[in-house]
Amino acid sequence: MNKSVPPKLTVLQYIFLIHGTQVGIGVLSMPRELAEAAGTDGWISLLIGGGAAVIASLLIISVMKRYPNHTIVELLPLFLGKWVGRAAIVLIILYCLLACITVIGNTVGILNIWILTQTPGYLIVFLFVIPTYVILQKGIHVLGRYSELIFYLTLWMPVVLTITLSDAHWLNLLPVVKEGWGPIISGARLTVYSFLGFELAFFAYPFLHNKKYAALGIVAANTWSLLVFLHVTILCFTYFSPDEITKYTWPTLVLLKGIEYRFLERVDITFLSFYLLVLSTTIFPYVYFTIFSSSHLLKKWDPRKQLKVFLILLVAAFWLYTPTFMDLRRLTELWSQAGLVFGYAVPLLISGPIWLYHRSAKGRKI
Amino acid sequence: MRIRGWMKRKKAFVTERISPSAPLAQNRMISNRTSENIEEITNIFTLTPDLVIRSFTSNYMEGQVTLVYLDGLVDKNSINNNVLRPLMAPPEQGGISIFGLLSVSQISPVYDFRTVEDKILQGSSLLFIEGQREAYALDTNGWPQRAIEDPQLETSLKGAHQGFVETALQNIALIRRYIPNRELKIKEIWVGQRGVCKVSVMFVEDIVDPDLLRILEDRITAITVDAVLNTGELEEMIEDNPYSPFPQFYTTERPDTAASHLLQGRIGIIVDRSPSVLIAPSTFVSFFQSVDDYSTRWLVSSFIRLLRFLAMVVATFLPALYIALISFNYELIPLDLILTVGESRERVPFPPLIEAVMMELTLEMLREAGIRLPSPIGQTVGIVGGIVIGQAVVQAGIVSNVMVIVVAFTAISSFIFPNYDMAAAIRLVRFAMMGLASMFGIIGIVIGFMILIGHLISLESLGAPYASPFAPVRFQDLKDTFLRLPLWLMKNRPTSVLSTQSRRQGKNWRKEDQQ
Repeated sequence: MNKSVPPKLTVLQYIFLIHGTQVGIGVLSMPRELAEAAGTDGWISLLIGGGAAVIASLLIISVMKRYPNHTIVELLPLFLGKWVGRAAIVLIILYCLLACITVIGNTVGILNIWILTQTPGYLIVFLFVIPTYVILQKGIHVLGRYSELIFYLTLWMPVVLTITLSDAHWLNLLPVVKEGWGPIISGARLTVYSFLGFELAFFAYPFLHNKKYAALGIVAANTWSLLVFLHVTILCFTYFSPDEITKYTWPTLVLLKGIEYRFLERVDITFLSFYLLVLSTTIFPYVYFTIFSSSHLLKKWDPRKQLKVFLILLVAAFWLYTPTFMDLRRLTELWSQAGLVFGYAVPLLISGPIWLYHRSAKGRKI
Repeated sequence: MRIRGWMKRKKAFVTERISPSAPLAQNRMISNRTSENIEEITNIFTLTPDLVIRSFTSNYMEGQVTLVYLDGLVDKNSINNNVLRPLMAPPEQGGISIFGLLSVSQISPVYDFRTVEDKILQGSSLLFIEGQREAYALDTNGWPQRAIEDPQLETSLKGAHQGFVETALQNIALIRRYIPNRELKIKEIWVGQRGVCKVSVMFVEDIVDPDLLRILEDRITAITVDAVLNTGELEEMIEDNPYSPFPQFYTTERPDTAASHLLQGRIGIIVDRSPSVLIAPSTFVSFFQSVDDYSTRWLVSSFIRLLRFLAMVVATFLPALYIALISFNYELIPLDLILTVGESRERVPFPPLIEAVMMELTLEMLREAGIRLPSPIGQTVGIVGGIVIGQAVVQAGIVSNVMVIVVAFTAISSFIFPNYDMAAAIRLVRFAMMGLASMFGIIGIVIGFMILIGHLISLESLGAPYASPFAPVRFQDLKDTFLRLPLWLMKNRPTSVLSTQSRRQGKNWRKEDQQ
């Protein structure tokens, strides 16, 4: 948040910042949603969703490439004029805010059901706010370092999931495309919010140190997230029967219930506790970019102070009203739609005009 | 933020009555009459019984000669043999200057009383000669000092057995013995208003990053205090984040450790009168490295490194984990184990947090008591503490057996760190973790872990990232972290130090070369 010296992200930090944002609450519930929509063909939906995300993120990079030193919130006033630009920034803030609240709400919801059944939601949010402040007050480079470090520190988690492979029934996946392509496409629509996170390239691109690798990096991030989702989905599909899986809200956690060690009885609780680290890499970027955008609107305010106020308001909001499960579902749906607009539609719509503009500008010069 | 906090602190120090840059008007020049000079000296040094003023007539000088020094700060032998004897000896030939006459290594002319004062206080003796408008400061320093001994805090098995002492010059000499190179440069900065202290900033010029050096110099020169008595005081005034429990500069009392850091491109800060040297910038990992790591076989020292990092995890999280598992997440423990634990906790009337805090505090008290006591009594404390903790508390049913095991294991783990400052920081963090675990169970521990990581990666030492080879990840530097790979693989200096010349090894002898 210090603008005098722009902090830089290395390519790996950039990749893991985006990848960390993508992998979040989706992993826990996605197998069920996919199974509900597309049956055991859900993994094909994932491939389609992943492909769409890669295309959308490449579009974003192609737009941002034209303005390598400006984030989206700096560009909007340039494109749209002062007041319309400001309105657009407000929309972006609302989008990031929606993302924060959805992910935090879902995290609190899951924790309240699985581990901390007695603890009120706002206390969990309060607990979460402390590391958020510690990390975000220093700026994006610390956030990048954090995302990268957490990625390495949680590499063991997919391995633990793989243990369930010994009970896999691969026949569950057959026949492929059993109900036609319709359900698969509607399933792909569901994966949208899981892949959300690449749209942060709108913000992160200018901070990237070596811009040559921007496109490659974002493809790598998307691909890695796709692999994680595929891994989890296929494990769940082969472990549970197609009917059983729709009964669990978070099949990934139920999957782990089956594992038991001599020294550890409930792997699922341990897994979920450490999964908080992964969730934090989703929440922190959204909180950061909420404040980043708002500090462009309220320039006179110290961003660090804004962060403090925002976090306090967050705790207060959860204290006043802890969202129920129906609320969370609605929020997730809303975020998913907003993401469809911000992550897919916006780049699609603006890349054309910007390309044309630059082409004509080039033509004029000649 | 960093700069601001540091400026704020600077403002808090009120300018002293006496400052070295006081107006020259108060500073009288030396007159050519010795009696006036002596009067001025006695005016400056009132109530100073250790001031010696010796007047005599010399065969080489026309009038009276007066020697002034502080008893105890000078080397009596040197004064008797090299100053007084030549001056008083019968003349052999006339017209020798004072520089040719006295067999003292340094003689510098002095013209004003401010300098006279400083020189006398630093252990020089001052020679006034009747009829001359200058005095001579003779280098006859010889204050009480300790012999060079084995370092106390950082003992080593195979490394050198010389530790730093309280004299900066000796410490510099000790380091110079390891790096006899003309690129080893020293910048002297005088710190303190009353107890002026020489701070020597030592570095290898063609390796060190000039920006780091400038930042460090700026910070040291900005210090305005009465006196810097210790390296620790200086550290607290120049560190990046004063609120952190973690040491941001490495303090060592070993010349070989200091030399190795200097060769990596770091800067050594030697404070006169203090037997330890600050190393900046430091990284988190450097607190887990010890000189012995490089003199034992790399497999062995890699194993020891892993052990140290494991010990860090244990010392930070084990009591917290115990609390979390017993009071919140008992479903994690396998049935057989929880039966055993439950059996041992059967009679314990306290909740796990009280139990753990009680035992940990007892342990800390025992440790602290043991440090300050002379060693024969210290051993008694250990025995009494051991028996009380080990036996009586459990038998009385106040604390469970498992808790005693946890505490003992934690204590042993916290003794493994080669650096005292880091061990102390981790002791503090442990209590915070215990608090979090007692409120939120295992989730509290994970959040605590997040805070810890977030704090470590946002710390900086002289502006260089503290958690360096891990965050930002620098794969080249990882060779000397969890594992200590063979030295011939570490061809370059660690990049975390930002040194300007990266290569430190050429082609070494390899077995393949023989074929």
